[in-house]
Amino acid sequence: MDKKPAVIEKEAQKELELLRAPAPAPLVPLPIEVLVPEARQQTPAVRQRATRPDARLHGLGATKYIDDMYLPGMLFCKIKRAGIASARILKVDTSEAEAMPGVVAVITGKDVPCNSFGPSLKDQPVLADERVFHAGDGVAAVAAVTEQIAAEALEKIQVEYEPIEPVLDPLLSLQLETPGIHAPSPNIYGHKVIKKGDVQKAFADSYKVYEGQFRTQMVEHVPLEPHSSLATWDANGRVTIYSTLGRITLGRADISRTIGVPMSRIRIVATIVGGNFGGKNEITTEPVVALLSKKTGRPVKCTFTRPEEFTSSTTRHPLIMDYKTGVTKEGKILGRQIRLVLEGGAYCSWSETTLGKACILSAGPYKIDNLYAEAFVVYTNKTMTGAMRGFGAPQVCFAYESHMDDMAKDLGLDPLEMRLMNALEEGSLSPTSQKLHSVVVKESLLQAAERFGWKNGNGHGHGNGNRQ
Amino acid sequence: MAAVTLLVNGEQRTAHVAPETTLLRMLRDEFQLTGSKLGCDVGDCGACTVIVDGKSVNSCLMLAVQADGRDVLTIEGLATKEQLHPLQQLFEEKGSLQCGFCGPGVIMSAKALLDENPDPSEHDIRDALAGNLCRCTGYTKMIEAIQAVAQLRQDRPAAKSVA
Repeated sequence: MDKKPAVIEKEAQKELELLRAPAPAPLVPLPIEVLVPEARQQTPAVRQRATRPDARLHGLGATKYIDDMYLPGMLFCKIKRAGIASARILKVDTSEAEAMPGVVAVITGKDVPCNSFGPSLKDQPVLADERVFHAGDGVAAVAAVTEQIAAEALEKIQVEYEPIEPVLDPLLSLQLETPGIHAPSPNIYGHKVIKKGDVQKAFADSYKVYEGQFRTQMVEHVPLEPHSSLATWDANGRVTIYSTLGRITLGRADISRTIGVPMSRIRIVATIVGGNFGGKNEITTEPVVALLSKKTGRPVKCTFTRPEEFTSSTTRHPLIMDYKTGVTKEGKILGRQIRLVLEGGAYCSWSETTLGKACILSAGPYKIDNLYAEAFVVYTNKTMTGAMRGFGAPQVCFAYESHMDDMAKDLGLDPLEMRLMNALEEGSLSPTSQKLHSVVVKESLLQAAERFGWKNGNGHGHGNGNRQ
Repeated sequence: MAAVTLLVNGEQRTAHVAPETTLLRMLRDEFQLTGSKLGCDVGDCGACTVIVDGKSVNSCLMLAVQADGRDVLTIEGLATKEQLHPLQQLFEEKGSLQCGFCGPGVIMSAKALLDENPDPSEHDIRDALAGNLCRCTGYTKMIEAIQAVAQLRQDRPAAKSVA
């Protein structure tokens, strides 16, 4: 429907008038807080829930841990464990196992190009060859077409041992006349001393001097996912190892050393790990699967059984801790002497880190001007110890806090008051004379005491909680 | 070798396995259903929990041949292409899983519980999870998520049939 020319003209006129209208007044700029939120409000973090990027796959059961990986032609590996704490290996006969249908290859310590490794001291064999240092040592490894056949083949491997008297007590191991487990190396393989002020004088000046011995036991990390690794070689002589290893760069150096292949030819794929807690910080089965895979020309996977997690992976160091503390009548600590004996088990692993940390932290969060702390780590013929959350810190905490409770009780003091009296403050010096900042020991203690109702009698005494 | 025919996540499957094969190994090795995990192989950790004929069981303690003719539900059978199972959704939202290894077993135990008891108390939930070990996050967030699912279903009874 056509518009009449007159109408069109009128509309055009209107448009022109609009165009000629005076420009609107410039907009008043909006206040800055309307335009842009304040920096601290821009990305709120506190009290926000962050969704884990891997949560979806975890819940679907679709996360691929190493044991969930199956490569074509893959073989299953099982490791024969010594089951004897200390022995000389006279003979390993694998012939019967090798003859079993389904068994593709068997290796022993003699097949490992360089049979020693470790994060600091190289005192750990991949598979024990001449000597067994603890019951969880591997002595042979089988690759078979099914896990069941591999497990059965272990039963057919005959090992002849000449037992050696094991050293199981760390205090016995500490004695210089005790035969060296890794002779000619001594049983004490790490030592640290922290000295400050004059402890003997402090004891002489004290109202009372208290002594106590505290011990902690061996603890296993028990990750829900057992250690696992899977190796496969390519045609150019490069090996890819999928591993639960937490420290892959360090691990690659140890794998290179043990299997005699340059690091440039080793590719490590670190996968999602089903719990580590410090227990997956060094190689375990990686050289074994790499060597079996090389021997068979097929991918080889090895997953620890739950018993192997307990016997053949690292654990937390058991400590024997002797404390001696001199105090005034009011409860002020004048001096403290400490001796720590760390039980390292069969191999060094991360003992040096644990030794250092335990020793530095052994005085506790308290101002102690006169201190003598001495720590030793010794070999025993038991499961090796290594990294585990806190590297020795929880053990000494158990000792110095129990010691504090014992003293407070005897002095008739409120254990909280005694702690507050001795607690580190802003600018206090640590046992190694490091100046401490952001110290909130007292504030934390007071807040905790208030929260759980210390004044009302909650938390007094051991095992005195409300039973329901 | 023994032939085993069963329903797995609503689908009929058959496998020929050695008689000593556990249900867990058959699910993982024969059907590539690796969501069920092997944590201890002795029925302590619960990472292998699946639902057989409506009951939560440790699949590492059940022989594959014992599952012959039965109805097995694994973690892979919960979500559809379109939507997550409410338990999976809430476990994700509440941050109930850390390393995730125990997750599939925990979720299956929770499903078996909610199927039987739509309004469980915290004690009921703790009891249902007694056979599932977690070493990372603890159980608080899992319990919160399971309670939230139960609440969700009571608020919207119609959603029950979908889930």
